[in-house]
Amino acid sequence: MARLLEHDAKEILAARGIPVPRGQAVPAAEAARQVASALGGPVVVKALVPVGKRGKSGAVRLAADPEAAGDAAAALLGREVGGFPVDRVLVEEAVPVAQERYLAITLDADDRTVRVLVGREGGVDVEELARGEGAIAWLELVPGEEMMPFRARALWQSAGVRGPALPRLAQLTAALYRAFVELDAELLEINPLAETASGELVALDAVVALDEAALFRHPELAGRVLIGPAWRPPTALEQQVDAINAAEPYRGSARYLELEGGDIGFLCGGGGASLLLFDALLRAGGRPANYAEIGGNPTETKVAALARVVLSKPGVRGLFVAHNLTNNTQVDVLARGVVQALREAGRLPPDFPVVARETGVNEAEGRAIFEAAGVRWLGEEVTLSEAARVMVQAMRERYGEGDGDSARP
Amino acid sequence: MAILLDRDTRVLVQGITGREARMVTAHMLAYGTAVVCGVTPGRGGEQVAGVPVYDTVAEAVAAHRPAAALVSVPPAAVLDAALEAIDAGLRLLLIATERVPKHDALRLLYAARTAGVHVIGPNSVGLINPGQRVKLGAIGGDRPERAFVPGRIGVISRSGGMTAELGLMLRRHGFGVSTAVSVGGDALIGTPPADLLPLFQADPETDAVVLFGEPGTRFEEDVAEALADGRFSKPLLALVAGRFAESLPEGTAFGHAAAIIRGGSGRPSAKLAALRQAGAWVADDLDELFRFLDALASSGVHHETGQR
Repeated sequence: MARLLEHDAKEILAARGIPVPRGQAVPAAEAARQVASALGGPVVVKALVPVGKRGKSGAVRLAADPEAAGDAAAALLGREVGGFPVDRVLVEEAVPVAQERYLAITLDADDRTVRVLVGREGGVDVEELARGEGAIAWLELVPGEEMMPFRARALWQSAGVRGPALPRLAQLTAALYRAFVELDAELLEINPLAETASGELVALDAVVALDEAALFRHPELAGRVLIGPAWRPPTALEQQVDAINAAEPYRGSARYLELEGGDIGFLCGGGGASLLLFDALLRAGGRPANYAEIGGNPTETKVAALARVVLSKPGVRGLFVAHNLTNNTQVDVLARGVVQALREAGRLPPDFPVVARETGVNEAEGRAIFEAAGVRWLGEEVTLSEAARVMVQAMRERYGEGDGDSARP
Repeated sequence: MAILLDRDTRVLVQGITGREARMVTAHMLAYGTAVVCGVTPGRGGEQVAGVPVYDTVAEAVAAHRPAAALVSVPPAAVLDAALEAIDAGLRLLLIATERVPKHDALRLLYAARTAGVHVIGPNSVGLINPGQRVKLGAIGGDRPERAFVPGRIGVISRSGGMTAELGLMLRRHGFGVSTAVSVGGDALIGTPPADLLPLFQADPETDAVVLFGEPGTRFEEDVAEALADGRFSKPLLALVAGRFAESLPEGTAFGHAAAIIRGGSGRPSAKLAALRQAGAWVADDLDELFRFLDALASSGVHHETGQR
C-alpha cells in the first residue's frame, strides 16, 4: 500500500470538500511556534510519521500557547516513532469537540467488496469498536456504484445516531466515499471525526492508503506517497533499487528488501519461487542478508545493477542466484549481468561462493557464462530446495561451520 | 476431457498487436490452441501470425464466435477490455496483465460474476492442458512440453513461475499434468484455488491436485474448507511457501501483491494447519512433495489415501 502522511491526506481531502482543522507541517520548533501564534489559541502538535496509534506513543501533544507548541515540537522532532524518524510535525488548531465519531472505508480484497464502517463513538481504536465497545454499523457497496446520502443516513442511524447530525454525517460520508473511489484508496479512516458544539463536522485525523498499482492515475500525488517496508524508512540500498527501476521502467522488475545481519546475498525470482527459496535457505541453516527479486525478462543492465546492490551490503560473503524454470527471463542475460557485477566487485569464486540454479530460456549459453566465471551452475536435475542446500554447503566449505553472526530476518 | 478449455475452444486475443501478445499468440497457435481472432482498437484489418485483427470485440465475435478471450492489454485498459468481452458474450476470460488497479479489478470481477463469466487472473501466466495440446496465455513459453507432459495431476498455483517449475518437477518424477492453472498473483482474482476444485473433482482425467500457496488472502483456508466438507475428495498435495515472512514485521508484500500478512491474517503456518486438519498432504518443501507423490503412485492414487 502507498501511504500518505497526515498533512498530505488532509490537504487532499480538504480539496474534495472535507473539513479539516487549519494547520501547517513544519520542520523546526521555531516554525511550530510561529504557526501556533498565527493560528491563535491552543494547538495540537503531531509527529508526521506513517504509523498508527501515535496518541498512545506520545507523538500527539496538546499545547496551550505558542511557547508550549514550540516545546512540544522540539520534544518530537528528531525522535523516532514506530521505526520512523520525526522530521516534521503538524501544528493545527485544537478544535473544541462536542462529540467524536468513527468512520472508515476499506477495500476488502478477501470479500471482494468496499466496506463503509461507522461508529457512534469515535476516538477509540477500531479493535475496541469491534469488541462491541460502542455502537457500530457497516455496509458494503456494489463496485462502481455511487453512494447516495440516503444509504449513509440509514448507516449512521443503525449506529445509533439521531437528530440534526444525521444528514450532515451522511453528506460527509458520501463525499468521503467519492474521494475513496477517485483516489483509488484501499483505506480511508477518519478517527476521530469531530462534531463541534454548533454541529459542524471536522476530520481531526485522516489515515489514507492508496493502491500502488493505481498511482499512474494520480500523477499529482507523486512525491507524497510513501512506499516500502511498513516498519522503517527505506534504506539507501532500497532507494538505489527504486532508482534502478525508475531508470528502466518497462523492462523487467527488480525488488530489494534489506534484512538485518546475514551473509548470503539473495538474488532470486519469480514471485513464488523466491518465497520457496528463501524458506529453503533458512531451513538449510543459511543466513540470507536481503530479499531481492529479479524477473519479467530484465535487461543485462538491470540485472547487473541489482546484483551490485545485493553484493554491496556489508557482511555479504556469498551469492545465491535462483529462479523457477523461466518462461521468458533469459538465463544468458541473467548470467552476464550477475558475472559483470561479481567481476566489478572483485568477488569471484572460489573465494566468494556463488551458486546459480538457472534453467529455461537460453539455458546452455547462460550455463557456459556462469561456469566460465567459476559459478556453481545447477539445472533442472536439482530442485529449488536442493539448490538452497548446495548454497549453504558452499558457505560452510568456504568459511567453516557455525561461523558468522546468527542473525535472522 | 479437460477443465475450462479444450482443443475446440475458439480463442480471441485482446491487445493482440502488443509485443508480448504477438509472441504469445504465435506460441499458442504452434502448440495447438484455436486462436481465431484478435482485437486492438484502431488496428482492424491487420493480421498477427495469420490471425485477423478487429477494432471491436463485437465485430470479432460476429465473424468468429470465440468462447474464450486472452486479455493482454496495459493495466489502465484492462477494465474496459474485460467489460467489452463480457458484453460481447465471451464465457471465459484469462487476464494476463499484472498490476491491475484494485478498484478496476473489483468492478470487472463483479460484472463477470453477475454475467456468469469465468475469469482467470488478473496476473495469470495462463492455463494449459497438455493432453489436448492447448494452452491459454504465455504458460510454458515456446516449449510447453519441457514442463508440461500429459498426465493425471492437476496443478493450481498462485505463482506463474511455480506453475512451470511444478510441471517440470512432475515430469522429472514420472508424472504428467491433466490441467495446470496459474490463478494469478493478486488478491482480487476471478478464480481462487477453491473454485477450481469442483472442476478437478468432476474431471475423470485428474487423480490428484497439487496446490502451490503463498502468504496472504484466505485462499488456502478456503481450500481446506472445501476438503473438510467433502466438495473435493481426491488427494490434495499442498506446499505453502513464505513461512519466513512470519518472522518479519507485518505489512510487506513478498513476490506477489497478494503475498502479504496483515492484521495477523494470511500466515502460512495457519494455512498449513488448516490444510493438514482437513486431510491434505502438506509438504514442507519440494522434496517432501515428491515423496508424497511417489507414495501416492505406489498406492495407486486412491481417493481414501492421504491422511497426514
